[in-house]
Amino acid sequence: MSALRLLLSALAVSALLRPAGADDGRLRDTIDREIRAGWAKEKIAAPAQSSDPVFLRRVYLDLVGMIPTAEEATAFLEDTDPKKREKLVGTLLADPRFARQQSHAWDLAMLGRSAKLVDGTVGHRNRERFRQWLAKQFEANEPYDRIATKILRAEDDGSQLFFAVNSGTDEMVTAVSRVFLATQIQCAKCHDHPYEPWTQKDYHGMAGFFVRTMTVEVPGKPEVTNQKGKRYLVGEKAVGEALFATEEIDPKTKKKQSVPIKPKFLNGAVLTEPEAPKDYVEPKLKPGEVPPKPAFSRREKFVEWMTATDNPYFARAAVNRVWAQFMGRGFVHPVDDFNSQNAPSNPELLKAIEAAFVAHKFDLKWLVREIVNSEAYQATDLGPVADAMPKHYERARIRPLSVEELTASLHVATGLGLESALKAEPSSQMLQYLGQPTDGQGRFQGSLSEHLFLHNGDQFRGLCRPNKGNLPEKLLTGSEGWDAKVERLFLSVLSRPPTSEEKERFVKYLTADPKDPKAAAQRMEDAVWVLVSCSEFRFNR
Amino acid sequence: MNRIIPAGACNSGHHLSRRSLMKGLLTTAGGAAVANWGALTHSQTIAAEAKRSGKRCIMLYMEGGVSQIDTFDMKPGRPTAGPFLPIRTKVNGIQICEYLPNIAKHVDKLAIIRSMKTQSVDHGIGGYHMHTCYPSSQRVPHPEIGAMVAKYGENPDSDLPSFVKIGSGSGLYGAGYLGPQFEPFVVADDGKLPGFANPSVAADVQDRRGELLNFMEERFAEQRPGEPFAAHRTSELRTLRLVKARKAFDVSAEWERAKARYGNGSFGRACFTALKLVEAGVPFVEASHTGYDSHNDNFPVHKANLQVLDPAWASLLQDLQDRGLLKDTLVVWTSEFGRTPAINFQAGRDHFGRAWTVVLAGGGIKGGQHYGASNRDGFEVQDNPVNEGDLFATMYKTLGINPRAKHFLGSRPIWATPDGSKPIEQLLG
Repeated sequence: MSALRLLLSALAVSALLRPAGADDGRLRDTIDREIRAGWAKEKIAAPAQSSDPVFLRRVYLDLVGMIPTAEEATAFLEDTDPKKREKLVGTLLADPRFARQQSHAWDLAMLGRSAKLVDGTVGHRNRERFRQWLAKQFEANEPYDRIATKILRAEDDGSQLFFAVNSGTDEMVTAVSRVFLATQIQCAKCHDHPYEPWTQKDYHGMAGFFVRTMTVEVPGKPEVTNQKGKRYLVGEKAVGEALFATEEIDPKTKKKQSVPIKPKFLNGAVLTEPEAPKDYVEPKLKPGEVPPKPAFSRREKFVEWMTATDNPYFARAAVNRVWAQFMGRGFVHPVDDFNSQNAPSNPELLKAIEAAFVAHKFDLKWLVREIVNSEAYQATDLGPVADAMPKHYERARIRPLSVEELTASLHVATGLGLESALKAEPSSQMLQYLGQPTDGQGRFQGSLSEHLFLHNGDQFRGLCRPNKGNLPEKLLTGSEGWDAKVERLFLSVLSRPPTSEEKERFVKYLTADPKDPKAAAQRMEDAVWVLVSCSEFRFNR
Repeated sequence: MNRIIPAGACNSGHHLSRRSLMKGLLTTAGGAAVANWGALTHSQTIAAEAKRSGKRCIMLYMEGGVSQIDTFDMKPGRPTAGPFLPIRTKVNGIQICEYLPNIAKHVDKLAIIRSMKTQSVDHGIGGYHMHTCYPSSQRVPHPEIGAMVAKYGENPDSDLPSFVKIGSGSGLYGAGYLGPQFEPFVVADDGKLPGFANPSVAADVQDRRGELLNFMEERFAEQRPGEPFAAHRTSELRTLRLVKARKAFDVSAEWERAKARYGNGSFGRACFTALKLVEAGVPFVEASHTGYDSHNDNFPVHKANLQVLDPAWASLLQDLQDRGLLKDTLVVWTSEFGRTPAINFQAGRDHFGRAWTVVLAGGGIKGGQHYGASNRDGFEVQDNPVNEGDLFATMYKTLGINPRAKHFLGSRPIWATPDGSKPIEQLLG
């Protein structure tokens, strides 16, 4: 294997002589060529490739949001096909769980974990309708520009949560530019942008596209159990202007003068729009009602501009975000902050992927397939680098499992089956103690409450304790030998066989009280608890 | 605004504390450390730790909005006065409510700010604003003061959490952009630990499974020095230490003797627990006293509350002083807002932010003084208005925290207090 890798790196060095993006080959090859070029430039030794079990766990979590079952793990590890990794990627991309996982990832990227609605936090249940709508898009492999268009048009049932969360004009401008354009224009709201050419007038020009947009909650009872969350409607008024307070004082009111600012695109063009209808009176709205669709929609004009193939921000923002989702760090980091002071790590590669993504008509699944089939994605988890997100991708990134991934994976690990893993909702305690384990910069931080919960929380213990039908119980009562039991335990929880040292240690631990069934059950619970509590389980690496 | 802000930068203080955590981790990697933690929980060691670290803060939070006119800013003879009478205190020229007789003996320690002028006069937004010094309408996850003090005052070697909230009546605003390491550790109203802090398995089981976990973690870490793994492991170790040190929260034995002085109720016990925790090295403890929202019957409500508050707060100040802790421990008496000078038709007072009172003591604050004043009937600030940011800048400065400490949320810079906030120099020793 390592001889092959040497050969490949030798080939890579020769590939360096060719300019990036010059061939029409597979994107994954371009990725690997450029990443290697980055290592060469930074004088970083090329990392090894991940082992099979590490790749297996990584790709399951990244593509379907949960660890593999023991059967799935065995099938892959025992497969001798040299193309088995590519084969597995294909299988997982076709799995309905892929759409579900993507819906979670994009929901959290767009709305954050603790986004606030006017009347409170968007709880886990409150966003389920949005997630189901997103999953439908990914299931149909809708092109990314179409998905973005639908979210900003907000006409489909379920798609409106983006505007329900970002309900004020300022919030819309901030969220749309951050999520879809990866720019931080909100800095220019109160002062001209510190290091971009954007002025306050540019900001208010953007606001002109959204100032007429409004969101209302649909009255009436939500779904019986509120499982899918509240419903919203998004509408647009026919009139209304973004106002900008100038420094000049109005002699009459003694206040700063406000002037309306025409809608203006981020790159400078002013929107041309028909004259506003004279004597237009906005209709009176009942609660839960939005105005009739205007003859001329500014928001739609913005969406057309944003999703045009020559828009300089849109595709690059998407590519950077998808890359970061799988590689840990965007070429530009933080992922939504392109600016002249924040140079990308691999500028040529970013350009190449952006061009290819547009050429492939914003096909997200294709992009994901190319990324996870690259050697860069499949790099080892070992080595001396301590950074969770190495800048030059010289080791796989380390990320904590999301609380959704953790919940599903705990069900898989303890042998409760895929159906139960898919149905399981994170409890409010899980969300509270494990929901947002990073600081404002995306660095993982453990909390005392997380660990106290893992130690002593009833819910967590309930999964580890031998119970009718779960894996701990099957192992406790099964007739196979202890070596085989420990092997099965490791495969189920950590997706790998135990080392001989681990096997010996766990067999010894589990068999220390052979005559006392209660003590033996406690020891089984302990062993499962240890495996689901350790770093190896908590993180995707 | 031409300053270049390095995206993703963070301050060196953060790195320092992280590094020392890592160091702590390395010394425990041998496995022997588990046995040593027992020694750390020994009370003498805790006292030694406490002496070594910096300043602390106890925040007494009057949930619901406390009336300034019926406590520290009385208006005798005015139509807004109400029935309570002022009494003389230890300090000439400072008079306070007759239902605070014990506090009257400690007025030499108090800096009474009678010119609070604040923006958010409803409970949710006021609680947020007076815990973070930012309005909640900004929709940025600002950390509450406890998290900020925890971040800059924590002793990474301590067995105890760095931010303890006794009762959650005052609201949970969280560590925000500072991260979960500084989230409040919430205990019950009377200071007792939450259920899941008590071991779910016997001590010997806890120990042996801890060893097995240690075995797994050590092997895993051999070729994986990743920071998240280390952070995970570190908080696991801190949790084990907390479980062993949890007796610090159990004040039952000493409470028997203290309860006569503090008042035998949950707020008295909360104040006593706060004392014990600060003594044990916890840098921030908040205790809330609930039920001040007196839209009806303001006077009986306040009379009952003040009679609980007075002995608890006064005993806390006394005990901090007797133990030599007061000079390093800031004690804050605050609320989400004050109450209207006007008395409504139900003999109540409503929410009021235009001119109300917050009291500081200890931790380097110069006591025995008023700062600012409201006008004759208390409807407006007359001298030296103080806003949320000014108050927090004062508290942070006396606690040794830079009021303009800069943090990042993604790429966006955020400061500990808003632009323009000024510490009240007259109160700082």
